[in-house]
Amino acid sequence: MNGAPFSFLRLGLVAQNTLREAVRQRLLHLFVGLALALVLGARGLQDFNFGAPELKFIADCGFGAMTLFGSTLTIAATAQLFFSEIENRTALTLLAKPVWRAEFLLGKLVGVALLTALFCALLTGLLAAVLWVREGELMALDPEGFRGGRAVSYAMVALGGWLQWLRLVVLAAFTLLVASFARTQVFAVVCGFGVLVICHLQHLAQEAYTRAGSAVGAALGGLFGGMFPNFQMLSLADSLAAADLPAPGTWLRLTAYGLGWALAAGLLAILSFRRREI
Amino acid sequence: MKSRLGLALLVCAGLALAGQVLDPLVAEARRQRREREPSLRLEPGVAVAGQGVTLALLGGFRALVADAAWIQMYARWERRDLAGTEAFARLVTTVDPRPVYFWLNAARILAYDFPAWRIESAGGYEAVPAAAQRAVNDAQAAEALELLAAARRRHPESVDLWVEEANIHLNRRGDPLAAAAAYREAWARPRAPFYVARLRAEVLRRAGRRAEALVWLREIHPALPAGDPGAGAELVLQRIRELEAELGVSVGEAYRPE
Amino acid sequence: MAPALEARGLVKDFPVGLRGVRLRAVDHLDLTVRAGVIYGLLGPNGSGKSTTIKALLGLVLPSAGECRIFGRPSGEVAARRDVGYLPEAPYFYRHLTGRELVGFYGRLCGLGRRELAGRVETVVAQVGMTAAADRAVETYSKGMLQRIGLAQALVHDPRLLILDEPTAGVDPVGSAAMADLIRGLRDAGKTVLLTSHLLGQMEALCDRVAILAGGRLVAEGTVADLAGGTGRQQLEVDRLDEAQVTELRAWLAARGRGLHGVAAAGRGLDAVFLERVGRGKGEGTEA
Repeated sequence: MNGAPFSFLRLGLVAQNTLREAVRQRLLHLFVGLALALVLGARGLQDFNFGAPELKFIADCGFGAMTLFGSTLTIAATAQLFFSEIENRTALTLLAKPVWRAEFLLGKLVGVALLTALFCALLTGLLAAVLWVREGELMALDPEGFRGGRAVSYAMVALGGWLQWLRLVVLAAFTLLVASFARTQVFAVVCGFGVLVICHLQHLAQEAYTRAGSAVGAALGGLFGGMFPNFQMLSLADSLAAADLPAPGTWLRLTAYGLGWALAAGLLAILSFRRREI
Repeated sequence: MKSRLGLALLVCAGLALAGQVLDPLVAEARRQRREREPSLRLEPGVAVAGQGVTLALLGGFRALVADAAWIQMYARWERRDLAGTEAFARLVTTVDPRPVYFWLNAARILAYDFPAWRIESAGGYEAVPAAAQRAVNDAQAAEALELLAAARRRHPESVDLWVEEANIHLNRRGDPLAAAAAYREAWARPRAPFYVARLRAEVLRRAGRRAEALVWLREIHPALPAGDPGAGAELVLQRIRELEAELGVSVGEAYRPE
Repeated sequence: MAPALEARGLVKDFPVGLRGVRLRAVDHLDLTVRAGVIYGLLGPNGSGKSTTIKALLGLVLPSAGECRIFGRPSGEVAARRDVGYLPEAPYFYRHLTGRELVGFYGRLCGLGRRELAGRVETVVAQVGMTAAADRAVETYSKGMLQRIGLAQALVHDPRLLILDEPTAGVDPVGSAAMADLIRGLRDAGKTVLLTSHLLGQMEALCDRVAILAGGRLVAEGTVADLAGGTGRQQLEVDRLDEAQVTELRAWLAARGRGLHGVAAAGRGLDAVFLERVGRGKGEGTEA
């Protein structure tokens, strides 16, 4: 023990400052604006007069906006907030204080996690409101079609928002892992998008190798795939019905899975950042 | 250089270890999901839809791509474009086979709208001979049933798919016995609504299979909860009595609810 | 008592390019800074001053050798409790006000909320930034940034201050104010390690200096040791005409001494500037 144990207070201060800096960025405002526009724009689907499935379309559109803009925002914000500290040498001043590098890096991660939490909460809330209003309108138009009451489970919508957030936190942790050793911000951003695609596709690649019957391919696919989380698991199943709501145990396991990956990537980022020359 | 390589190997090893530790947390959820929704395959039908669609799918926007394709399908449906409507309907069910809604509505379009369009384009119901109309109806119904069969491989527990199959047998093929068989399958699914069982009996009765209908109603009646208007236990009992009267069932052999 | 700073056999190599060629920034440096002095680190650009400071602060890992702060290895986080650092051309979080910035660093150093408020006021006043303390840092001039930077370095009342080019880009008034501040810190018992390209200012400020070149220590000692020792003196007298100069030269020669130069004594532009602008009346400076 060297007299300055790891401090969650210092970590929190770095996180708070990171969040404060992030919410002032114009890029964030742009992405939030675009995502909000897309969610509200989903209301335009009523022109097609689909009936109850229209609600699913609106939900797909909302969650799609969250995935698209949320992922872009997360990768860009993580890389930008990290490299601005290095390039502007604010990291020098900060790490010259009695601050652990782990506190600095995890503080950055928590700051971005708070930012994405605000983003997901805002969009999930808006999506739920749009769905609620439209569902009410549809119920008035077609009472027969909604005999069993509301078709949308709003707990399921909340779960969708929660899973989106978990995905974004994992993505932030992986981007930070790359940034911890990357020399340029562009490299970290490109790798962040690469991780996003791999996490979406790794299960497909594994299944494709298995189907192809290639033992070497399957082994390599398994090894490579095992190094990345499966984002398919952190996405909502197709249905928005209450009957399909996963049991609390499943929620908890998915949460542990997402946060576990974020923690693992965060710890490896600390390991890599420990030896970085500032 | 050596230390950077060492670090890279260490990070890879750490990620692989994390994968090993965390994967069991979602093993059960993954198994369940695989059963419910098969994985996305980039089949030729999807690849020809263009690079944009493929890229969007790879980026994890499966549902959005399917929704957009479904709207495109409707645009062609409004123009009564047979080839375009069918191509987009099949693209949607290939891209995102998870929503039953897509399968059901694609089957309905094939079974109901397509015959009407084909007959009208051939001169209308007045001009086209009845036999030709029947052939068109049968051909389209067969295509729709094939699509429903494919849908059931994806959604084996879906009641709606069996009910739709029964409707097509009944309305397009005029085959009440096949419809009755489909209703039986629908009733066997979990969370099947009570009306499905009653419909099977009604179809059998109208097809002249009153004895079968009576056996069926006696079989299902004990499972109907009393006091639930949706279950219609009273109605079913009333139908049992009617059928017993029509079939001359003696008092001793009459159904006695427990 | 352990020295404030100590480097023993410090070597720092940086890999350059993909082939792993190494550039030696600091080459077997031995340095000891006693407590309570102003110590100047001099050297041309690329001489290894900044790398040495980073190594002393534990911000880069030495390739060989060791650094200690008050006897503690500088890699230890706890060792930095005793250090305040002002980097060269500091850049701070733009969205914070000066007061918030100093408070943020104070909290990072473990100051409690109650103690913090008082400390922030004290150091902000000490660097003459009270009037501008509630403005966002992004509106500050270079000189104000240096001063708020010094305030964040002082906020936790460290025993050692490391100031990297604290007067770079600062006007002469600000520079003189900074020099006064640094002297004040030394008088209050702090140790100050200082780098600057303004050799005149370093000469006036520092008790000891070290000169680095190519990463090596080429000279070290008190200012008097290094800059004195010519065996000559300067006399300042009222203006003499040519005949009087000749007479003085003869008088000196009779005593075995030489007159080596005669020049008009100016007040120097610094003095004129400070007199006209007024010491303490520079940009954002409070009297």
